Amino acid sequence: MFFGLGGVVGATVAADLLPLFSGAAVGNICDISSRLSRESIALAYPAISVSVWVIALAFAMLAGGIMGLVASYPALRVKEEWFLSMILLVGGETFRIVVTNTPEIGCGFNGLDGITTPFYWLSNYLPSGPLQAEVPTGLYAAVIVLLAIGCFVFAQKICNSPYGRLLKSVRDDKVAAEALAKDVSRVRKQIMVIGSIMAGLAGALYVYYIGVATPEDYIPALTFGIWVMMILGGYANNRGLLLGAFVITMLDRGSLVSGIALESYFPTLNSNLIVYGRYMVEAVILLLLLVFRRKGLLPETRVKTKAYTLFDFGKKNAKPSSQPAEVPPKGDATTG
Amino acid sequence: MTDEPILLVNGISKSFGGVKAVEGVSLSVKKGSITGLIGPNGSGKSTLFNLISGAEKKNPGGSIEFDGKQIDALPPHKRSELGMGRTFQTPRLFPGMTVLENTMVAPRGQKGERPFVAPLRRRWEGQEVELAKKAKEQMTRLEIDKLYGKLTSEISGGQMKLAQLSNALMEDPKMLLLDEPTAGVAPRLAQDIFQSITNERHERGTTFFIIEHRLEVLFKHVDTVFVMHQGRIIMEDKPEAIVKDKRLAEAYLGI
Repeated sequence: MFFGLGGVVGATVAADLLPLFSGAAVGNICDISSRLSRESIALAYPAISVSVWVIALAFAMLAGGIMGLVASYPALRVKEEWFLSMILLVGGETFRIVVTNTPEIGCGFNGLDGITTPFYWLSNYLPSGPLQAEVPTGLYAAVIVLLAIGCFVFAQKICNSPYGRLLKSVRDDKVAAEALAKDVSRVRKQIMVIGSIMAGLAGALYVYYIGVATPEDYIPALTFGIWVMMILGGYANNRGLLLGAFVITMLDRGSLVSGIALESYFPTLNSNLIVYGRYMVEAVILLLLLVFRRKGLLPETRVKTKAYTLFDFGKKNAKPSSQPAEVPPKGDATTG
Repeated sequence: MTDEPILLVNGISKSFGGVKAVEGVSLSVKKGSITGLIGPNGSGKSTLFNLISGAEKKNPGGSIEFDGKQIDALPPHKRSELGMGRTFQTPRLFPGMTVLENTMVAPRGQKGERPFVAPLRRRWEGQEVELAKKAKEQMTRLEIDKLYGKLTSEISGGQMKLAQLSNALMEDPKMLLLDEPTAGVAPRLAQDIFQSITNERHERGTTFFIIEHRLEVLFKHVDTVFVMHQGRIIMEDKPEAIVKDKRLAEAYLGI
């Protein structure tokens, strides 16, 4: 839902601002002519192209954050995280159907295309050939990777802080956290907004990468794909999520490439079998994981704050002032 | 201990479906006292605590006043902010964290608990070390300092009770609701727990309101005892008087 919203908002902002900044008529952004004019503006004005991209990302993040705040209200009322995923799944599907049937939002069913990467203008300076298309896209992909690393570092830092400890306490025992004066609702809202801002950003980056925002991209399979990534890598572990995302994305893209490649060698083979077969593979992975390894490949990590390193027993940094008590004091007075 | 009440409960009730767990309970707990709440299983003691701390919503009607403020409408975390701590009958500690980290959840207003300060380690690390030291002192007072590097899943039930008490004491509450602090604990440790409670009361003037089944230990330390039976308070008196009262045996034995 947030991903799709980010995509549609990002594309709409880009389509409106590009002609506005360059002084051309805005007109109907869904027209084929406006698509062509978008592409030529992106080619001719590097500064406008990049600044519109930045603004589009900002709007996508804003939209994602607002939507996250709105969605956190029903989310606060459910007790189990699985119900929360149901809410989000239904929300995402509602979003897709509304966009598909409303031409005013992101051009409806047809989608909004002609969204070139912010480095499209580079092709002016490149010799014609395959490089002309590849360099701007490759550069943009590198920028996406940098932003992804930024998000990952942010998430890691948040997790290894008192806030990470607070998040775990709120997740694991709401009643106990409340008894310690923690405002559980506020924490849940905050983290929901942070997550949906990131999703909105991802949506806009994706649209800029593939060049089109179409509701057909936001099918529930996308949500399930992300879900499989989470369960595969190990939810509650940022590295695990990264690993899961990597494996599933490789499966997605790999099946597409290998399906087409194999078809050229074996003309009788239907490449759809391999390309769409990935959904079956994903489903099998999901089922196997849920039965045999519910925590995913990488288990949850501990919160690493200063307190963890200062006073942790059995670790190198343990303070010498404290008595060596690695062995559980069995039969001691403090044993119940 | 003064005569001034810190907690005033006036005619509150709670029903679950058709079962009346708490029925028109009124009581007052004096500031700085150790007050006991006893009664047979299922008499509504824990439910009463849940109503006071806000973990459960009371039926309409009646009122709860804490430290001079009406608190019935406040959510649990606000009540805790006003200085009302509590522990649970079955210890509720955060799994996957050490005893120290559990206690470190408790302090309020931590800088690093704000999401956009959290990534800036330098802004909160000093406070974190200070709080860790404070938490360690706290644990030393309760004699569980040896355990602080242990995961909460690795310690015994009695130690969990103490760890929970340490969490609740971390923010210097004005009043603590303790739900069976010594249930499932070795007899010697039970004495120690009550000794720690009495010490805390003398040192910091904390009020304790305690549900307990171990009457022989409880009666040595409390000032006043309430007896609850079938959702009502049936007696309130000094422990010496309560033990002599025939109604206590009647409530427990069902005669």
